[in-house]
Amino acid sequence: MSTKRSTYSIVGKSRPKLDAPLKSTGRSLFTDDIVLPGMLHGKIVRSPIAHGRIVNIDTSRAERLQGVKAVITHRDTGGVMVGPDQMLLCDDTVNYIGDEVAAVAAVDEETAAEAAELIQVEYEPLPAILTLQEASAPDAPILHTYCEDNFADERTMVYGDPDKAFAESEYVRSDEFISNPTHNCFAELHVALADYSLPGKLSMWTPSQTAILFQKNLAQNLGLSESNVRMCCLNTGGAFSGRTDVKPHHYIAALLSRKAARPVKIMCSVDEEFIVCRAGGNNIYRFKTGFMKDGTLKVIEADMLHDCGAYVETQFIVLLLTGIMLQLLYKVEAMRYQGKLVYTNNIPYYFHHGGGMTPEQFALGQHLDLVARDLGIDPVDLQLKNAVEKGYTTLSGTHYASCGLKECIKKAARKAGWKKKYGKLPPYRGIGIGCGVMSSGGKGMFVHDTSAAFIKIAEDGKASLFTGLPDMGQGSHTTMAIIAAEALGITTEDITVVSGDTDIDPFDVGSFSQRGTFTTGNAVKAACLDAKKQLAKTAALKLGVKPSALVFKQRSVYPKGAPEQAMAFEDIVFDTLHSKEGRFVMGRGFYNSPSDKASLAYSFGTQIAEVEVDPETGFVKLLRMTVAHDVGRAINPLAVEGQLDGQAFSGAGQILFEECLMDSGQILNPSRLDYKLPRPFELFEIEHIIVETNDPFGPFGAKEVAEGPLVTTAQTIANAVSNAIGYPIKEIPVTPERILEALKQKQKQH
Amino acid sequence: MRLLRFEHFKPSSLEEALTAMQESAGNVRVLAGGTDLLVNMKCGLEQPGLIVSIGSLPELNTIAEDPSGDLRIGAGMNLSELAENSLLAAKAPALRDAIKSIASQHIRNMATLGGNVCLDTRCWYYNQSKLWRASRPACYKTGGDQCHATRGSERCHAINSADTAPALIALGAQVVVQKKGSQRQIPAEDFYRDHGARHTVLEPDELLSGLVIPCGNETGKTHFLKISRRQGIDFALGSIAAHLAGNGSTCHSARLVIGSLGSAPIVLEKTAQVLVEAGLSQESIQAAAEAARSELGVLTTLFSSAGYKRDLAQVLVKRVLHSFIKKPTTQKRTRR
Amino acid sequence: MKKIITLEVNGDLHEVAVAVHQTLLEVLRDKLGLTGTKRGCAVGTCGVCTVIIDGKAMLACLLLAVECQGRSITTIEGISSADELHPVQQAFVDQGAIQCGFCTPGIVMTSKALLDKTPRPDDEQIREALAGTFCRCTGHIKIMEAVKTASQYERAEKKSD
Repeated sequence: MSTKRSTYSIVGKSRPKLDAPLKSTGRSLFTDDIVLPGMLHGKIVRSPIAHGRIVNIDTSRAERLQGVKAVITHRDTGGVMVGPDQMLLCDDTVNYIGDEVAAVAAVDEETAAEAAELIQVEYEPLPAILTLQEASAPDAPILHTYCEDNFADERTMVYGDPDKAFAESEYVRSDEFISNPTHNCFAELHVALADYSLPGKLSMWTPSQTAILFQKNLAQNLGLSESNVRMCCLNTGGAFSGRTDVKPHHYIAALLSRKAARPVKIMCSVDEEFIVCRAGGNNIYRFKTGFMKDGTLKVIEADMLHDCGAYVETQFIVLLLTGIMLQLLYKVEAMRYQGKLVYTNNIPYYFHHGGGMTPEQFALGQHLDLVARDLGIDPVDLQLKNAVEKGYTTLSGTHYASCGLKECIKKAARKAGWKKKYGKLPPYRGIGIGCGVMSSGGKGMFVHDTSAAFIKIAEDGKASLFTGLPDMGQGSHTTMAIIAAEALGITTEDITVVSGDTDIDPFDVGSFSQRGTFTTGNAVKAACLDAKKQLAKTAALKLGVKPSALVFKQRSVYPKGAPEQAMAFEDIVFDTLHSKEGRFVMGRGFYNSPSDKASLAYSFGTQIAEVEVDPETGFVKLLRMTVAHDVGRAINPLAVEGQLDGQAFSGAGQILFEECLMDSGQILNPSRLDYKLPRPFELFEIEHIIVETNDPFGPFGAKEVAEGPLVTTAQTIANAVSNAIGYPIKEIPVTPERILEALKQKQKQH
Repeated sequence: MRLLRFEHFKPSSLEEALTAMQESAGNVRVLAGGTDLLVNMKCGLEQPGLIVSIGSLPELNTIAEDPSGDLRIGAGMNLSELAENSLLAAKAPALRDAIKSIASQHIRNMATLGGNVCLDTRCWYYNQSKLWRASRPACYKTGGDQCHATRGSERCHAINSADTAPALIALGAQVVVQKKGSQRQIPAEDFYRDHGARHTVLEPDELLSGLVIPCGNETGKTHFLKISRRQGIDFALGSIAAHLAGNGSTCHSARLVIGSLGSAPIVLEKTAQVLVEAGLSQESIQAAAEAARSELGVLTTLFSSAGYKRDLAQVLVKRVLHSFIKKPTTQKRTRR
Repeated sequence: MKKIITLEVNGDLHEVAVAVHQTLLEVLRDKLGLTGTKRGCAVGTCGVCTVIIDGKAMLACLLLAVECQGRSITTIEGISSADELHPVQQAFVDQGAIQCGFCTPGIVMTSKALLDKTPRPDDEQIREALAGTFCRCTGHIKIMEAVKTASQYERAEKKSD
């Protein structure tokens, strides 16, 4: 680790997660572990065809089955829409294989499954549109009548004067890239438990990245007031951007529960998991850049077509980010971007870890690698030449108050032995570099990006920290406890994190857009400073100094420079309560980035991969990854390493292994076995380089490390493979068959 | 995914099991390790009324050398136990290697040799839940009249992925099949049918009770190799077992068997002939690999072109033959 | 049709009425309240339902409960004492090998079965044992380290006994 010694007592020291011991015993509760009195089990009836009209739905046999307590169709939803174009339970048209048509609740899973099979739906098939090309053709049948064509949304961005910049460029290159859909494959399957037994209040247990957005959407669409929806997000078994919005099964569980007046649990089966959504993005990118011969980047132009499947959800974020990202990493004079969301009859798209940036950064990274080759410039030098730095303001107006990109590039290159290896490896061995950038927080996507926090301090000097930020495994509860402990001068063990119930939690937009550490961290810090101010008043009186002259450290409070006069932290708390004023210490704080359009802090990263390609089978062996990331400040280095490891591995999966194989609107490999997730045998060596740039806006200098590493990995490995085989990588994942095909193409050219 | 109702019978002897099989023929399945059958049942691919549990029958849980030096292995032998069995390691290391390459340790801790030998053939369009399959008409393997994987085909092309199959055939093993009152012993090669929907010769009232591996008079060596996308818990993209007998570079006899590229293991006769004629050398290995490429009649399935399959077969032949001229080392599965 | 069977789980004998088509996983979770063993894919591909039976790591989703009579079953609830975690659990905590924690019980049980049989496993043996498990958060990297640490903890514990 590369950093100046920090002056903090707790921040920066590795420690296990607070909830790890309980999780290690299996006693941490996940949604499927909860059984409510009288609970029923729900099952959804889904469309077996990709596109068609519903002629008739007959539920009578299901209703008569012993043990069935509720059956619902579109007639029971009150016309609820779960998106701008999606009706909850289809009324006349189904738009993809898996579209929800009806649902049942019964006394046990077996009865529910049996009843679901008894519901007879008669369809009249319509032609299905399954590819981006078909859907974007001028004469394509229109899938959603509210649209004039199949473009669900589009976004154009222009900065500077791209035409002029291209005209002035000495070298111009264009490439087209394709990415295929992937899947999040969280360990915990999609599940929802709804208790809407009484009309006034809906309680829902479900894994989630954002209880608040779930609450808001459920309330709005079910006609409830927000406070009448209680979201309980206990533990979440992985999320990877795939649990940021309420899905049809959540609404269906609620409506079944209302109708049966009993709690209802819907647990998806492992293949249903792949029907709820696809992820990653089936995208076509076209990149064009203009350079000077010395490698100076002048202009970037990109188009993207994105297959959003049957319905749009929050894909506008992908449209937006894809454009913005183009000008965040390198100094550039001008850029032009056009992105389009395209309706098809495929399974709807949802985010996979990286929010669509993983394939985009692959495409940009591989494109730049090809540029470096053409210009005869070492890719490391090309990166260094164009990398943004501290103090730089991008075309879109983002200002970098901290930036360790160049430090990441240099350190990674040194650690990986780049100079000794690049261009000097034996045949079919390759090395590649990639760089990435990621915002800390989602400002720019929503009006506000607020997190709030409360802290209450008990007489024994221990504190309860209330946060609405879900911990899906990243360890944010521990990170928040560390921030609170540091701010209050107590220990992490003194903090109990209370979270996971919207009846109790303070407002928090949620755990996505890499906002936890930065945004909620700042809110927690603010709440703690508020509490500290209340304590300082008492301590100042006792110690006869000004509050500003007090030091809070290691459970004690003393005047600056006079630790011998220290009072115990808990005594100050005690004295504050047991006084005439009788003040109970509780702090409140919130944080909303004061900038208008973009985040205040960005993380940067560089990775270097070394691979070996078997030219006979096309198999790639990933030998080692060097992963450098500018995290601002590592609040808990152990957790940062966990993020780097997990994302490097996941990125390797996305680039080398993972693909939803599609045929006629169906995923052919909807399982943990056939969707080729890498496992322990596919492990590689990994070297961490944590770069700390002490961001002025981050809590104790910290920035995100939630997705930045991931979006860097895919391009890095692709570049290494391309280096090994001496041929461009144009489509991901880079499967053995695609590699052999590339080698054959290469041979043809020679 | 849950199992639907069935009757369960745990016989105390093989005789009792065979009686039950005969009485309920057509509506009965034997359960040993359960790692294949129960998954298929959860997917609604099989729905027997009766399950006869044979996993712990003592008659099927034996491994021993018979007086002629042949190895007799009960079908109920657990795969993890076999992987560590010293007799098997000494007598038929290639079979041991094939066993070690199966699925994951969790699965091997439960599964049996007989279960792997009989492993149902697999296909993208078959190994799916009932919900998934509702989107398409039935295929040959589910009682229909078409193949979704190889469109226009007149038969089912589900793949035989039993890792032990090519090893057993290369070793010249015999399969012991029993039914009430009778027993037959057939060469492993003849046990399989090149038909995805009915891939073994087992009759509904028969069960596979054991295997006989001829070790007594055999002088040759056997090697096994498997290539899978993921090194652990994966079916093979292709596998191979080769048995060569000879002196130095001469080759009296050769048997090469490819697995996981067809509905039955594929015996490469012409390729073997190349080796017998030319002996074993770097040149003949290359020639054999090319012969294998042309000998294979593999088809394109949706996501694996025939070209890639032939490439892979060529690599398998080359690599397995190289292991005969390399210094003997403990065989490891090929890394992905 | 239900059968009354006796299951030995974590040293306790449970007499329980089960349908013959119920898996051990369903009985552990739904009838015995032992929800530490998680329900994952239910078809043997993810390892989250791993329990130890007669010393071996097995998948509770692919075992019929009726087949488990007379066998000794250990679940995640059965390996720690009131006062301390099992060395494997402690190592997973200390090494940061737990993120979301959903796969953790299965991987801990798999690791315990490995270490019970092979107290000093090498990397290859650890990978082999863990190949049937699946962790989407950690990339398995810290899990590998945790298994090695657990091996050290267990040896240290034995020495001090």
